[in-house]
Amino acid sequence: MRLTDATVVIRPRSQWEAMDLGIRLARRHAGLLMASWAIITLPLLGLLSALLWSYPSIAVLIFWLLKPAYERLPLYILSQALFGHTPSLSASLRALPGLLKPQLLASLTWRRLSMTRSFDLPVLQLEGLAGQARSQRLVVLGQKGTAGATWLTLVGVHVEMALLFGLFALLYLMLPMQVEIDWSWESLINPDSHQWLWLEHLSNLLYGLLLVIWGPVYAACGFTLYLNRRSELEAWDIELVLRRLRQRVTGSAYALLLLAGLLLSQWPAPALADDMPVQCQPEQLAADHPDAPRLQLQHLDSDSARYAIAGLLAEPPFEHTEQVTRWRLGDPQELDEERIKAWAERLKALFDWWERSSGLALVVESLLWGLCLGLLVWLAWRYRQWLQAFGSRLRLPRRSPAEVPPSQLFGLEVSPQSLPQDIPGAVLALWTEQPRAALSLLYRALLSHLLHERQLPLKASHTEGEVLALVQRQQHEPLSQFCQQLTTHWLQLAYGHRLPPADSCQALCAQWRQLFTTEPRP
Amino acid sequence: MPCNRGCGLSQTFAPPAAAAQPALDSCYQVETPEGIDLQLRPAGIVPRALAYTIDLLIRVLTLLLLFTLLAFLGRFGTGLGLILTFLITWWYMVLFEVLNQGRTPGKYWMGLSVVHDDGTPVGWSASLLRNLLRFVDILPFGYTLGLLSCLNHPAFKRLGDIAAGTLVVYRETTLFSRPPLPEAIPQRPPLPLHLDEQRALIAFAERHEQLSTARRQELATIVSPLFDDADPAASEQALYGIAHGLLGPALDTPS
Repeated sequence: MRLTDATVVIRPRSQWEAMDLGIRLARRHAGLLMASWAIITLPLLGLLSALLWSYPSIAVLIFWLLKPAYERLPLYILSQALFGHTPSLSASLRALPGLLKPQLLASLTWRRLSMTRSFDLPVLQLEGLAGQARSQRLVVLGQKGTAGATWLTLVGVHVEMALLFGLFALLYLMLPMQVEIDWSWESLINPDSHQWLWLEHLSNLLYGLLLVIWGPVYAACGFTLYLNRRSELEAWDIELVLRRLRQRVTGSAYALLLLAGLLLSQWPAPALADDMPVQCQPEQLAADHPDAPRLQLQHLDSDSARYAIAGLLAEPPFEHTEQVTRWRLGDPQELDEERIKAWAERLKALFDWWERSSGLALVVESLLWGLCLGLLVWLAWRYRQWLQAFGSRLRLPRRSPAEVPPSQLFGLEVSPQSLPQDIPGAVLALWTEQPRAALSLLYRALLSHLLHERQLPLKASHTEGEVLALVQRQQHEPLSQFCQQLTTHWLQLAYGHRLPPADSCQALCAQWRQLFTTEPRP
Repeated sequence: MPCNRGCGLSQTFAPPAAAAQPALDSCYQVETPEGIDLQLRPAGIVPRALAYTIDLLIRVLTLLLLFTLLAFLGRFGTGLGLILTFLITWWYMVLFEVLNQGRTPGKYWMGLSVVHDDGTPVGWSASLLRNLLRFVDILPFGYTLGLLSCLNHPAFKRLGDIAAGTLVVYRETTLFSRPPLPEAIPQRPPLPLHLDEQRALIAFAERHEQLSTARRQELATIVSPLFDDADPAASEQALYGIAHGLLGPALDTPS
């Protein structure tokens, strides 16, 4: 172990800072630590789950109990990496069997619940101590290191739980609703059913995964706590500086002296410290002391200067005194029993008054609402110019004003007022003399019906074909059939001047009656 | 524990690491416009979790007490209690951080404080932002995101800290009394010492009670070439003498 090779800065730290260093250390070697941890623990968890498929809680309990065994590998990796010899993944895995040997049983059983597990492990593994020697060493180290290690374990337990619940909440959020409902019903009705075991094994896997993150950090924090305690006990930081100092001295000045000594035909090399008074005599010391009287031969000697300085320092700009007068509470013993009783009665009266004056709550409530309103008004006033400039853009995209149904479509009057009461009768009456007018009346009546009764969004720009398509979209089979026939006849008559067959008008009127007379007209 | 000193020095004069990476430390350096390097020491997950727990306990107890007292006041009391719940839940951290030099009671207890990334005292906007985003850190349950972010960030920031540009650091503590040095006659060092060497010698004398005799002499033997003295005990005494001399009569008073 050469301190000069250390890859961390060695300085005295508080316990908390030592743990922070552990987090940084684990983060620097995160890839190696997490990979090695995952390679060991995840297959083990898989094996346990396979063996104990029906008892997921026991599987995870055993997995949890074995935790101290997993922590040995991260400690090995970090202790090697501390002095710059970071092992490769395969090398560290090969080292694992050797690491597991010493005192594994003790670690897994009666020392399992020790709160300072992470802090004690380096003594066992790196110092190789056992039995009496180990406990003595732990007493020495633990004088100051125990508190931090205990807090680390305590916080670690909660971090694990928080991460587990967090991951579990995430999983729960991801579950499809139906699976969730089935799960809760199934576990309610038939708790012994093995159908949902995979979910519990999944949550065990989550625990294994979060340990991949937290386990190495915990081991690293314990290791740095141990390092910090050792460097405090053995003053590693001082040793480092002293070694550099020695190098400086022996490297430069001492070498020069040696050279000079050689050149001067092996004169006894003058020892460096000889020039300096190594042991000062007391009277000499008194003369060297800053408070000793000096400069005695001149007008202003050191003593009078000191008195003048002390006098100046006692005067106002440096010395500030202030007289403060204020009220104090009187002697507490004046409070005799009667006064206390009076106070109690007054308090009681106050409470009674509170009870009776329920209006006060109302007053405060209205005050608060007033405050809220006032705040809104103030905000509006404060930003009035901004609102003026940009307010119009804030509005929601408004609907175009309620659509007024057009009164004319392709030059045909379609408002209901322009139609006769009995349409089929009027049509039949017109048919013999003016078939064009009759058919147009029927078609107008149809459009008017679609527009006002069926509320079809017809616009003046629609063509007859588009109206037909809109009607067919209504999925009303008789209506769309009627519409189809009428539109064809009307188009042929209107644009082709071809009269429909004579009986078609009768048929259309009959259909009209059938379709629309059941529906009352306004 | 004089941990407030030497943070920067040991980094500046850190030994050349065997790896290509710089030596690892949990310090965080800020350079001021005047070219001064400030050393901040960000606090990690354990002290912060404990500080948060203390704050949580204080808040819960305060609310319980308030509700018990306000129960006497009927409807008005309930209303007042709700308003106070709002204030305590959302403003406890912010008010303490901004008005009390970045320290809530929990942080005060743990010796932490919140500062901006550049070491300046935390302000209203940063404090509000970091405490509003606490609710992102809590997602999906029990600070999962915050914990992961805190573990993964070199300055141990949670998401709210990253967004607000704040840092939770250990407060600098001032030493009011130095530990007494062992009796020795003051003397001058045999050669001019660098600042870190002077500090190390003073620390050696101050920490002599924590070190075993064998270890003290081992350390003293390292620098025995300075004194041309083969005797470790004499070197040790000489080191104490130099420490007395370095501290000077003003600071070197037995406390």
